[in-house]
Amino acid sequence: MGRAYSTIAFDPAKCDGCGDCMTACAQAKTGTDDWARSRIQIVGRGNAATDAMANAIEDATEKAFELALCRQCADPKCVTVCPAGALAKDGASGVIGWDASKCVDCLLCTVGCAYGGIALEEATGHVSKCDTCDGRPACVPVCSKGALTYVTTANIYNEVGDWEDLFAPGLAGCQGCNTELLMRHTLRRVGPDTVLATPPGCVPGMGSVGFNGTTGTKVPVFHPLLTNTAAMLAGVKRQFKRMGRDVTALAIAGDGGASDVGFQSLSGAAERGEQMLFMVVDNEGYMNTGMQRSSCTPYGAWTSTTPIGAGCAAGQPAQGKTQDAKNLPLLMVNHRCAYVATASTAYMEDLYAKLDRAIEASKTGFAYVHVYSPCTTGWRFPSDQNMEVARKAVETNFVMLWEFTPDEGLNFTRPVDDPLPVTDYLKAMGRFRHLSPDQIEHIQGKVMENAKFVQRFSEQAHGG
Amino acid sequence: MSTTTLEKPAVSAPKKQKVMLCEGNEAAALAVALARPDMVAVYPITPQSSLVEHVAKLIADGKMDADIVDAEGEHSVLSVLQGGALAGARTYTATCGPGLAFMFEPYFRTSGMRLPIVMSIVTRDGITPQCVWGGHQDAMTVREVGWVQIYCETVQEVLDTTVMAFRIAEDHDVMLPVNICLDGNYLSYGTARVELPDQSDVDAFMGAKDVNWHVALDPLKPMAVDPLTGGAGGKGPATFVRYRKSQCRGMQNALSVIEAVHAEWAERFGRSYAPLVEEYRLDDAEFAIMTLGSMTGAAKDAVDEAREAGKKVGLIKIKTFSPFPVEALMRALSKVRALGVVDRSVGFRWNCGPMYQEVLGVLYRLAGQSGTVLPAMSFIGGLAGADITIGHFHRVIDATAALLDGPAPTEPVWLNEND
Repeated sequence: MGRAYSTIAFDPAKCDGCGDCMTACAQAKTGTDDWARSRIQIVGRGNAATDAMANAIEDATEKAFELALCRQCADPKCVTVCPAGALAKDGASGVIGWDASKCVDCLLCTVGCAYGGIALEEATGHVSKCDTCDGRPACVPVCSKGALTYVTTANIYNEVGDWEDLFAPGLAGCQGCNTELLMRHTLRRVGPDTVLATPPGCVPGMGSVGFNGTTGTKVPVFHPLLTNTAAMLAGVKRQFKRMGRDVTALAIAGDGGASDVGFQSLSGAAERGEQMLFMVVDNEGYMNTGMQRSSCTPYGAWTSTTPIGAGCAAGQPAQGKTQDAKNLPLLMVNHRCAYVATASTAYMEDLYAKLDRAIEASKTGFAYVHVYSPCTTGWRFPSDQNMEVARKAVETNFVMLWEFTPDEGLNFTRPVDDPLPVTDYLKAMGRFRHLSPDQIEHIQGKVMENAKFVQRFSEQAHGG
Repeated sequence: MSTTTLEKPAVSAPKKQKVMLCEGNEAAALAVALARPDMVAVYPITPQSSLVEHVAKLIADGKMDADIVDAEGEHSVLSVLQGGALAGARTYTATCGPGLAFMFEPYFRTSGMRLPIVMSIVTRDGITPQCVWGGHQDAMTVREVGWVQIYCETVQEVLDTTVMAFRIAEDHDVMLPVNICLDGNYLSYGTARVELPDQSDVDAFMGAKDVNWHVALDPLKPMAVDPLTGGAGGKGPATFVRYRKSQCRGMQNALSVIEAVHAEWAERFGRSYAPLVEEYRLDDAEFAIMTLGSMTGAAKDAVDEAREAGKKVGLIKIKTFSPFPVEALMRALSKVRALGVVDRSVGFRWNCGPMYQEVLGVLYRLAGQSGTVLPAMSFIGGLAGADITIGHFHRVIDATAALLDGPAPTEPVWLNEND
């Protein structure tokens, strides 16, 4: 299979056009502060870059910058059009290199590039382009706004892409569903020596257990009751242990069954330290059965059982769920599990690291991973926005990514010190469209309260 | 029909059996130890608490090599065992009354997955009104859930039948979960002399263990266990029907398997029980009374006394309640002209005992053959831990005798109502 490459990502919403990246690049590559010689170019909405930037900085609503940078394309047009063989893509790093000794300065490559990523450097008379500084791009660390990031998640693809996908192609998920991504990656990581439990919900609904004699899974899989996943899996694992066989007991369960009707068996198994990896896919409701509320549904959210209405008998307008969500991962922390973590598919490296630790922990005790999983259908957002919604949840502290072990306490794995306002998250989806200012204020307050609580918990665990 | 597919060594004379005094719950626990389960899951609830305590002690003392799971409730107890059985474990638990009610969701599923789990029901009356005492209401309430249910009369029968239950459950022609029902309080705490078979003899009787040959959760043979079936359109419901018919077939097969296993037990251990239906002084009887469980002892004494008084009464004891032994009952009932059925629980829908309802169906089939309808009446006694005494059975015998000359009452006779 092909390879994936690391790349420099740009978030225009965070860029204020300060130009620090261009200075850093020019310094690194030319020893000067000449922005014209920087291989990364930040371009404002106007024509003359610097003037436009100055204006834009004045007017925050005009923060609209674009990036001109070599994207190190998989199928680079610049390389294709070069008549001299001066440009070539390195198969290992993915970087497109430029060989001065072969270049004839025809500039055809600058025409071939659709991103303005390769341009004539007038001072030298040659083209210049980004080479990512051997994987340590000078521009990225100087960006204090977080608009530039060096994305290395391609490593996941390169490392695990050859591992067998243990689900059949064509699972029946909704368009843009996050859970299929999660299922495939999780099982691929856990591996074939696994017994998989998928209680009623989206996961079996997508075909993991199958219908009428079919199955979508290459490992032994079963459909526990909504209520008894952890108990049944405990029985499976104990017998294999008794037989001296090393089999991973894995549950991929929805939030509803786990936090509501299945909580007793989950709690019991955790208390007994049953050796399993229990993953909850938290899409904040019973999405598979028609989007009903669960105890993990957040305050204010529309669901089909917490509808938006004109009024009710008590005279109060019905405005979505009237209670805050149960914090299931924190409840599991208080079971003193061998390992507890929260994760998000928007941060796959983080998820993979946590899976590694969870699998290891499940060999001696109860490991619990809680993955926030936006639901395009039930949360009412376009199917191409799943990762964006997941990311916004973290950037606003609506969701916090941490891990816990009894020995090491609770540690944030991706702390957000300067969170975006929660409205940035809420407005990304339709289920919060009806919220009143009071409700938004309530949610923002709870997000901050929760962040403080978990922070304090973390500090106390470290003797703070 | 084959009764077992496992090769067993030839029967040799049993070793000397240890004679001891113990309560029914302890007898059940000792029997479980003899059957060598891999996994036992427990939750204590009256009147089966001392059963799981005995099991826990046997394991703690190294006399039983089983993984014990102290689960947080009966729902998880049975769920743990389902997982264990799917991974190949021989499994056991016990429950009663509210515990069985709480277990209902996985209870229904055990028979559908054809898992040969053995579970004692230390029978208890239903709540509400609040009641922690004996009665058959719990087991009767779940009689249509696909478990084999066998009732015991004595402490020794509890011990012997509990061992046999594993053979019956795991028989390849059955593959169904089995309940051994022992009367709460009377048998659970009743102490009696029992003979304990030698472990090596039981090992020879049990043969090789093979509990998940048909359905397994094992990476070495991956399969999807219990996929979704049904729905509109041909294939789904047809799959479901095949599963259900197979369950019914396993249940019917159990009748002959239970007989064969009991016969082998008698041969190996020298103690025989009527496996399905016991006929007591029935051959020359004009009428019969029918009993279930521990009440039978007092009933037999009453029959003996009535015989001495010249009354031609016999007794029919049902041992196997599920599958209902229709053929065996028809043979027994064809010998008499009237019947009194004593239940230790109520059937709310018919205003009579549940066993009486079942018998009515048998009487209908019998009438189809003989052309005459046997008069039968319902007695309900022993609720909430009440005694059904020899005196009560004399009332039962006299009221049943009256059916020979007069109409059968449509109302049940409630024993213990005024005593």
